[in-house]
Amino acid sequence: MSDADQTQTLYALREVPLGKPVIEVKNLTKTYGEGEATVHALAGVSLTIERGDYVAIMGSSGSGKSTLMHILGCLDIPTSGSYHLDGVDVSRLNDQQLALVRNRRIGFVFQAFNLIPRTSALANVELPLAYAGVKSAQRRTRALAALEMVGLGNRADHDPNQLSGGQQQRVAVARALVSQPALLLADEPTGNLDSKSTADVLGVLDEINREGRTIVLITHEDEVAHHARRVIRLKDGEIVSDERQRPVEPGSARASRQEFGQPATAMDGAEWA
Amino acid sequence: MGLMEIFKFALRGIGANKLRSGLTMLGILIGVGAVILLVAVGNGSKVAVEQSLQSLGTNTLTVSSGRAVRSSTYSTDLTLSIVEALQDKNAAPDIKSVSPVVSTSQTLTYGDTDHSTSVIGTSRDYLDANNSKIAKGEWFTADDLTDANRVLVIGSTTAEELFGTEDPLGKQVSVGGQIFTVIGVLSEKGSSGFNDPDDTAIAPINSVRKALTGYGAINSILIQATTADAVSAAQAEATAILNTKMHVTSTSNTPYQIRSASQLLETRTATAETFTTLLGAVAGISLLVGGIGITNIMMVTVTERTREIGIRKALGAPRRVILTQFLLEATMLSLVGGLLGVAGAYIGANFQITGITPVIVPSSVVLALGVSVAIGLFFGSYPASRAAGLRPIDALRYE
Ligand SMILES: Nc1ncnc2c1ncn2[C@@H]1O[C@H](COP(=O)(O)OP(=O)(O)OP(=O)(O)O)[C@@H](O)[C@H]1O
Ligand SMILES: [Mg+2]
Repeated sequence: MSDADQTQTLYALREVPLGKPVIEVKNLTKTYGEGEATVHALAGVSLTIERGDYVAIMGSSGSGKSTLMHILGCLDIPTSGSYHLDGVDVSRLNDQQLALVRNRRIGFVFQAFNLIPRTSALANVELPLAYAGVKSAQRRTRALAALEMVGLGNRADHDPNQLSGGQQQRVAVARALVSQPALLLADEPTGNLDSKSTADVLGVLDEINREGRTIVLITHEDEVAHHARRVIRLKDGEIVSDERQRPVEPGSARASRQEFGQPATAMDGAEWA
Repeated sequence: MGLMEIFKFALRGIGANKLRSGLTMLGILIGVGAVILLVAVGNGSKVAVEQSLQSLGTNTLTVSSGRAVRSSTYSTDLTLSIVEALQDKNAAPDIKSVSPVVSTSQTLTYGDTDHSTSVIGTSRDYLDANNSKIAKGEWFTADDLTDANRVLVIGSTTAEELFGTEDPLGKQVSVGGQIFTVIGVLSEKGSSGFNDPDDTAIAPINSVRKALTGYGAINSILIQATTADAVSAAQAEATAILNTKMHVTSTSNTPYQIRSASQLLETRTATAETFTTLLGAVAGISLLVGGIGITNIMMVTVTERTREIGIRKALGAPRRVILTQFLLEATMLSLVGGLLGVAGAYIGANFQITGITPVIVPSSVVLALGVSVAIGLFFGSYPASRAAGLRPIDALRYE
């Protein structure tokens, strides 16, 4: 991607007046298969998420939570409906712009972790920074800090197959957080964790939300949902309830990301705030 | 992301899949090495034939006695009177010299050393016609010929076998029980693989007939044309003379064979070329099999690699960076494998293979390397480019 393109995308995503929603989806549907075997994973979801909000999505297995999350993370496209991220219509972004959005804007934790095999935890966590063009020494420091944050500082050199399920999940969380994205999307980030590790990870999430970052997570556990400001319930691909537990703190939206540490790159540092 | 950074990623990718990388490289190594070496063996045998025939001289004709003609009332033997007839300058102006050749396989003994070789009895002109030179000592004289002196001129291999580091000149050698004196050593013509032109012993024809073979038919006649261009004219003249002398009635059924060195060269080169083609075909098949092996390994890992590409895309890797990484990986694997194969072939070419010294054909190196690297590159990067075009979630679900 040329520098000009890159700057253009960043501006497009930045020139949103503060207070405009981070996520705005309208009548989102996703169908799989054809004829008899058609599955309506999402059957018309409309949703607006404000900057600085902390949303928990709940619902039974197969209700379309992951499907929605993949679309929000720009990893998949909806069958119909619109998705505006920071006011930009995602369907109009090209491949290069999408790569940039995924890298700089969004941190994604997969339900199945999706670590790269035979590659150390540290190298896995460094990856988003490498694609952002961060120099190797700085990359290492920040990746180690992220691993430390999820309590895995002493497992940095282990390959994924040498880690327990819960440890792999925490590496995946560290990888999503390392680039300090303004939007964190986490698909059951505590699904494999004991209560201690769950509490640790939730502590980290509370912390980054206080800094003004937006969090959307999927969970089956009420304690986890309790941390969120807002709980959305899905059933058969539709929103059946949307409760606010706590308001979005007014100051949080303006919080500078610098408080959390260094910006992901010198270039986009100030622009994502 | 800089190229250097992507290069490091590619290196890490190769290191992370050691078995896959090793097998891919091995496949390419064997494919390339086998092709180059097999073609080199074929080529080596061709070069050997060419060398051995070039040492004969290119402006000579050899007359040898063919199959006996049934119901012929005349003798079909080659005789000295035929040699004399061929030397007639009026009948054969394009013939420069004619040498009768009798050859007999004999054991040469010097001290405790035995050596078997073919002893040739001939006239003085043979030296020049046979494209030989004297390295040490001298060629036999006209007197040696007429007086049937027991003198011997030996080839360099024979000299080495019999005398080692000793000076052979003036030494007495027993040839089939008869004592001959070594008066000269021929200069080396170089080994040609099939038969060694330097393993020979030459004596005046009269001495050989008197001491060893008796006065029967001579084995062949070596005719030297005045120039290389006059060979066919000389052949026509010789044929006419031979036909008269041997009372040939039907030209399709002659009691002799007359062939020029270049004709001999052609038939033998043709044989060698068939051999090369055959080996080339075997080499081609091994390249194909190697290629299929590489393809297999690359394809088997497509699922895993597609998932990996899905993860990388989800983390924000631009398509260009992914493609560059995978192309670099494939390039390194196939290039390193290919170059190791070339190195292996060059090492292998230093050894004789079934008696033939392989001579590497540069174009086979280019071809083998090119084909393997192309296969490696294509099957290494094609799945990657397809995967990089997928949506991340589809790449992650790929099975
Ligand atoms: N690639 C696909 N092809 C066909 N159907 C799919 C595909 N992915 C998901 N589905 C279907 O879409 C529906 C929603 O799936 P989704 O993964 O979003 O569920 P979920 O709410 O995340 O469930 P869980 O809590 O078990 O993770 C399911 O019925 C599933 O079978
Ligand atoms: Mg799910």
